[in-house]
Parts: sequence; structure tokens; C-alpha cells
Amino acid sequence: METSAARSDGTVLSADNLTRTVATASGDKRIIDSFSFRFDHRGLYTIVGPSGSGKTSLLRLFNRLDEKSGGEVRFHDRPIEQYPVTHLRRKIALVFQVPYLFPGTVAENLAYCCPVKTNPEEAFSSRYLHLVGLEPGLAGRDAATLSVGQQQRVALARALVLEPEILLLDEPTSALDPGAAKTIEDLILKLNRSLGLTIIMVTHNFSQALALDGVSLVMVGGVMIETGRSRELMARPGHDTTRRFIAGDLR
Amino acid sequence: MIDIGYTQVAVAVTLMVLAIVLSRWQRLGTEKELAIGIFLSFIQLVAVGYVLEFIFGLESVPAVLAAVTVMIIVASFTAARRAVHIPRAWLWSFLSILTGSVVTLGLMLAVAVITMKAQYVIPLAGMTIGNSMNCGALVMERLHSDITSNRPAVETALALGKNWREASHPFFVKAVKAGMMQMLNFLKVVGIVQLPGAMTGMILAGASPLKAVLIQVIVGYMITAAVTVTGIMAAHLAIRRMFSPADQLTI
Repeated sequence: METSAARSDGTVLSADNLTRTVATASGDKRIIDSFSFRFDHRGLYTIVGPSGSGKTSLLRLFNRLDEKSGGEVRFHDRPIEQYPVTHLRRKIALVFQVPYLFPGTVAENLAYCCPVKTNPEEAFSSRYLHLVGLEPGLAGRDAATLSVGQQQRVALARALVLEPEILLLDEPTSALDPGAAKTIEDLILKLNRSLGLTIIMVTHNFSQALALDGVSLVMVGGVMIETGRSRELMARPGHDTTRRFIAGDLR
Repeated sequence: MIDIGYTQVAVAVTLMVLAIVLSRWQRLGTEKELAIGIFLSFIQLVAVGYVLEFIFGLESVPAVLAAVTVMIIVASFTAARRAVHIPRAWLWSFLSILTGSVVTLGLMLAVAVITMKAQYVIPLAGMTIGNSMNCGALVMERLHSDITSNRPAVETALALGKNWREASHPFFVKAVKAGMMQMLNFLKVVGIVQLPGAMTGMILAGASPLKAVLIQVIVGYMITAAVTVTGIMAAHLAIRRMFSPADQLTI
């Protein structure tokens, strides 16, 4: 089941028959089942579906935070196993649902992955804080004192420091109020359109997928049941489960 | 020197009876454990006494090495019981305790501070191995609990392109420090708050306090070095088991 992305610009990441099985008390469970898809360069994708449908597990396979049980993931048409894993994770950066900021200041968090000695620290922090819509004055703040929305933005900025080609976002607005969520959505659109980042975002909120106006992949029980432009799925869901999910009957 | 026999030991037992009476009076519920402790410690120590008499009598280097090997194996399994979550913890304990002991005892033998006689090697090995065992167990237990409870911190570091060693380094440092803390505290207060076992034993056996102090200094430094080597090695070996070859957290 494949589709072309919103802005077709060549495949950057592809999955073929991707499967992940985990051991549970009641035996082995397939949490990702034969997932195949091509993500295009500069594309904007939302992985939608009810809780426990394997959305987050899928993201974790793309940057090898978890290991697949079968199938293949290719980055620039090379199996991801052929890249040094630390390099792969810098190119395919993941921002978690609940951001973790290291003890210290915002600037120290931004410099976590970057040899700041080669950069004037202040300009370096300002640049990335500006990218995510935060005031440069925040650089010296203790990261623990930030609001949840600010923490999410700093986590995004810290991932951008890696200069990734693909940004994996795991429900980045789930802990935010509607206003703060909207600003993060605007930021995601800006990163996709201005910086040309390929964005793959997990959300359980279909209205968010609509707002981002990209390609949606509907996951249920570890299986991708349907894919297409979010607006088309909204107008003509091809699967009853998709219709029920969009209607809010599935959570 | 005081003449010690079973009569004197029987007198000492009255102190344990006092402990049992106090426990019952204060309803501590430890009477049974105290009684078992009195019995087991007596049997174990007398048995060890006979075994040591036998080994000392052999005047054989292989017998000394065999005894030390048995001590290290028993210590390894004892330490591993506290690190049940780490696969093959007994092996990592064994390698760490063996290295700590061989390095320190080997150096003492090489520079002729002690000679390869049972009466020197076995008591020193006992103290070195016992302290190394406690340190190794504590380090592995602490590492597992810290990394498990700080999963977001470790996975954030991995997702930002750090390798397993960098991602776990803060917890490595904390665990090794925790393992060494008892020894470091001991070194700070030795002679002021408490007179250590080796020194007390020598003084009781009739040696001059100054000579006993010198021996204690050697023993104290030996144990500190062994504990440091064991702690660092146990941490390295155990921490590697918590990550896959692709730098994925597997616990």
C-alpha cells in the first residue's frame, strides 16, 4: 500500500514489509505488521490511529531506537543497518512525546550534541531558539523552570541542532492546550516548508492531521489500513475503521 | 596474649543471649534470626578455622590459589544474586572481582610486601574479595535501577546521536561512586571513629600497635584499589549488557 507524498521530491526513507514482534505474557505479539511505505524528501506525513495502534513503535524503528523483527527500512536507498547508528539518529532525529531536558540551562541543552567551542555560544543558542519561536533571552534559563510548551520547543530546537534530514515527532502537542498546540503546528509547517525537512509526525488527533494538510497513514493494530491526503481521507474514508476514527468513535 | 578457648567463646555467647532478650523485650521480632545467626556463624567460622589450619599446614602454593579461586567464585555468585536483572551477572562479577583481586594481591606479591604463603594471601584475599564483592553487587544493582528509572534521559541521549557509553555515562559515574562510597568513608574516619578489623586483630594477637597500623595501611590501600578496579570493571561489563550492539536500550 503506497502513495505519492504531498510534494514528490524523491524517496528519502522507505519501509518494506516492516515488522516488529515483542514478547508479552500471553506470547509473542506483532506490534508492527508488514508495514510498507515510501516517504518522499520534503514531505509532511502524519501517522494517525487510536491508542496502541503501533504509531510510536513505528517511529522508533525508523531511527533504530528499536530493532525490527523483519522487513527492511532504507534511508537514501541504503538499508539503515549500513549507517553507523549514531550518524543515522542525527540524520533521522526523534522528538519524544514527553520531552526530556537534561539538567542545566536551555543553552546547555542546545549544545548537548554540538561542539559549542566552534560557535559563539550566544549566537548559536539564539539561532535555534529563534527557529522555534522562543526568545533568545531564554538561553540562560534553567531548563527545569520552563513551561511544557517551552520544553517541547527547546526539545525541537535541540533536535534541529543535529541538522537532520527527517524529523520524527511523537505526539508533540499531546500535553499542550489548544493555543500552544496551534503554535507548534505552525512551527512544524514552517520547518517543513522553509527548511525543507521531511516530517513524520504521530498524532491521535485527526483534526491535527487536517491542519497540517499532509499525507496521513492510518494505523490500526500495527497495520497500516489506509493512506492518502488527509483531506481526501476525511472526505472519502476508504475503510470503516478510518471513518470511525475520524468521527472520534475510536480513541 | 589472652588464651582463647571454647570456654571464652561460651562466655561471649551470653552477649548474644542478651541481644535476644532485648529483642524479645522490645518486640523487634529478630529473636529467631539472631538464634540462627549465632548457630550459623559459629559453625561457619569454626569450619573455616579447620579449613585454614589444613591449608596452612599444606604449605602449598596450588592449595592457596585453589582456596582464593573458590573464594572468588562464591563471592561472584553472592554478588550476582543482587543483580538478578543483568544476564550472566555471575560472570561479570567473577571477572571484576578476579581482576580487582589479582591486580592488588599480584602487586603486593610482586614487590614482596607479602609472600606467597597461605597465612598472608588468604586473609588479605578474603578482605579484598569481600569488599570487592559488596562493591560489584552494589554497582550492578544501582546501574540497573538508575538506568531503568531514567529511561527517558538515556533514550533522549541515544536519539540525539550519542552512543551507549555516552548515554549511560552519568549513571555509570553515580553507580561506581556509590560502590566506592563505603570504602571512601572508611578511609576518612579510620582510626578516629573505628579501629579496623585487621589492626584490631593484630593488636589482640599481641602485635605492637605501630606495626598493626602499618599493616592496616597496606590492607586499607589494597582494598581501596581492588574496590575501585572491581567497581569500574563491573559497571563497564554490566552496562554493556543493557544495550544492544546497535545502541538500543534493551532493559
